[in-house]
Amino acid sequence: MVQTGSRTVTVLIGFFLATVALLMVLPFINVIAVSFSSSRAIVSNEVTLWPVEFNLRTYQNLYRDGNLIRSLQNSVILTVGGTLLNMVATTLIAFPLSRPGLRGRKVFLGMIIFTMLFSGGIIPTYVLVQQLGLLNTFWAVWLTALVSTWNFFIMKTFFSTIPASLTEAAAIDGANDVYILVRIILPLSLPAIATLTLFYAVGHWNSYFNVMLYITRSRLHTVMVVLVQMIRSVDPQLLETAADATELTRFMTPEGVQAAAIVIATVPIMLVYPFLQKYFVKGVMIGSLKQ
Amino acid sequence: MSVTTTQIVGLSRERRRAKLRQDLYRDRYLYAMMLPVFIGFFVLFRYVPMYGVTIAFRNYRIIDGMFGSPWVGTRHFERLFRSPEFVLILRNTLLLNLYQLIFQFPAPIILALLLNEVPKPGFKRTLQSVMYVPYFLSWAVLGGIIISLLSPSTGIVNAIIQSLGFEPIFFMMSTRWWPVVFIVSGIWNSAGWGTIIYLAAISGIDPQLYEAVRIDGANRLRQTWHITLPGIRGTIAILLILNLGRFIDLGFEQVWVLQNPAVRSVAEVIPTYVYRIGLQAMQYSYTAALGLFQSLIGLALVLTANWTIRAMGEEGLF
Repeated sequence: MVQTGSRTVTVLIGFFLATVALLMVLPFINVIAVSFSSSRAIVSNEVTLWPVEFNLRTYQNLYRDGNLIRSLQNSVILTVGGTLLNMVATTLIAFPLSRPGLRGRKVFLGMIIFTMLFSGGIIPTYVLVQQLGLLNTFWAVWLTALVSTWNFFIMKTFFSTIPASLTEAAAIDGANDVYILVRIILPLSLPAIATLTLFYAVGHWNSYFNVMLYITRSRLHTVMVVLVQMIRSVDPQLLETAADATELTRFMTPEGVQAAAIVIATVPIMLVYPFLQKYFVKGVMIGSLKQ
Repeated sequence: MSVTTTQIVGLSRERRRAKLRQDLYRDRYLYAMMLPVFIGFFVLFRYVPMYGVTIAFRNYRIIDGMFGSPWVGTRHFERLFRSPEFVLILRNTLLLNLYQLIFQFPAPIILALLLNEVPKPGFKRTLQSVMYVPYFLSWAVLGGIIISLLSPSTGIVNAIIQSLGFEPIFFMMSTRWWPVVFIVSGIWNSAGWGTIIYLAAISGIDPQLYEAVRIDGANRLRQTWHITLPGIRGTIAILLILNLGRFIDLGFEQVWVLQNPAVRSVAEVIPTYVYRIGLQAMQYSYTAALGLFQSLIGLALVLTANWTIRAMGEEGLF
């Protein structure tokens, strides 16, 4: 946008924003530097933005310990399986409810909107999962968050923007709704599918509360749960009991281990970041059009 | 849709029934797709727990189940409302939310207004790309980074403080500093991302409006005040309701990862208390009562906020 006004203001604003942006990323750079530094350098507080006495020992030990590797495997299984289920379920409910003539549509939509306003809360949901015998399985995490109401609305809005003439022509030729969904709607919805897949996948990868809530067996813990346990038990300055400290923290500087775990847990997100940015911005736009 | 409805009104009862059957049969595949998800997810995992809040009025035991445990009336609520901890966690929840509303809510608006003043699209895009990063990271990661940055012994922030000749600050353990860390970390996480929606709203403002006030001699600050801000008023209002609706529902993950026993007096909030007392100490019914209290306040807040926005002449959410 072309604006009148002095150049000085523009430069000052640019400088201020650049500083803010820099402050937002410097912490990551510091953590990366710490993860590649020696224990001695970390403890004597010498590391700023570049590794001191560069070495890979922390990573090697983390690899050898195996706990973190297993938690990464769990994260991958949880994310891939969960995202697949999310996408199938979201499509199956969004498509019928995007058809204007469907009987009972308003009632279904009303009931879905109401779940955004009121919920039973953590405990009743937990008790239900317990009664269904799903504790300590990934199914507990997958099923209790099968459809995000927000993503459902994005999908439904996208489907309803597809011109009705396309589906009507197929219907006249005798195609049923399954055929219409698979052959006509889905191929035209690839941008929405990509967006929501990323929304769901990032959500699964990053969240730790549901896993911590439903899965107490440590062999099934994801990388984020392991990380949180490390964080909450690591700092000797804090009074937290070290009871749930992992094996890892015994033979290395806790700060170094934690930094390396943070870097490892973040790598997958950074790999998809270019796509994330593109599709997430689109998703926010679709979502903000309606609802 | 409206045409068929008016047609149906004129028809007899049997004809209407026949039409309904015909419609249901026509859409049988659609119902076959959605009903398993609707019943298997929305009914089972959203509506059954809503009924499940009745365990707040029961003495829940695993053996008796959600529907079979004995009723005890409002005993859990009486215990809850009398306990000093309830006052504490309610106060903490409301205070932290209030701080968020005052400091965190305006942050993306200010950033968006400033980004809008950046003339070079390439530079603007770079700034945005960088500012979005923290939004995509887990609170496990962000919390870990914050705690290691602020560590009194090995953190870079305290290294700077000490090099300036001051005593190191125990940020995470100080009840004075903890809320500051909480709010700043919230801004770090979401302020950049939050600009997207405001920038979109700004780009929708008619450029002729700027032209008009510029002819009147308005400088950039006045243009922002008289054109840009009024232009995004609706967006701000909608996001404000969304925020108010969540007023009592602080994000568990952010609080939990930053929390420690030393600051529990300012950092214990409803969801973390429910988790600690309800699940770790297995007092299901007692904490279900607290959860129900939270849900009801939350519902009242959203409805009030939505009504307020409509009364202000903006389009509400529902």
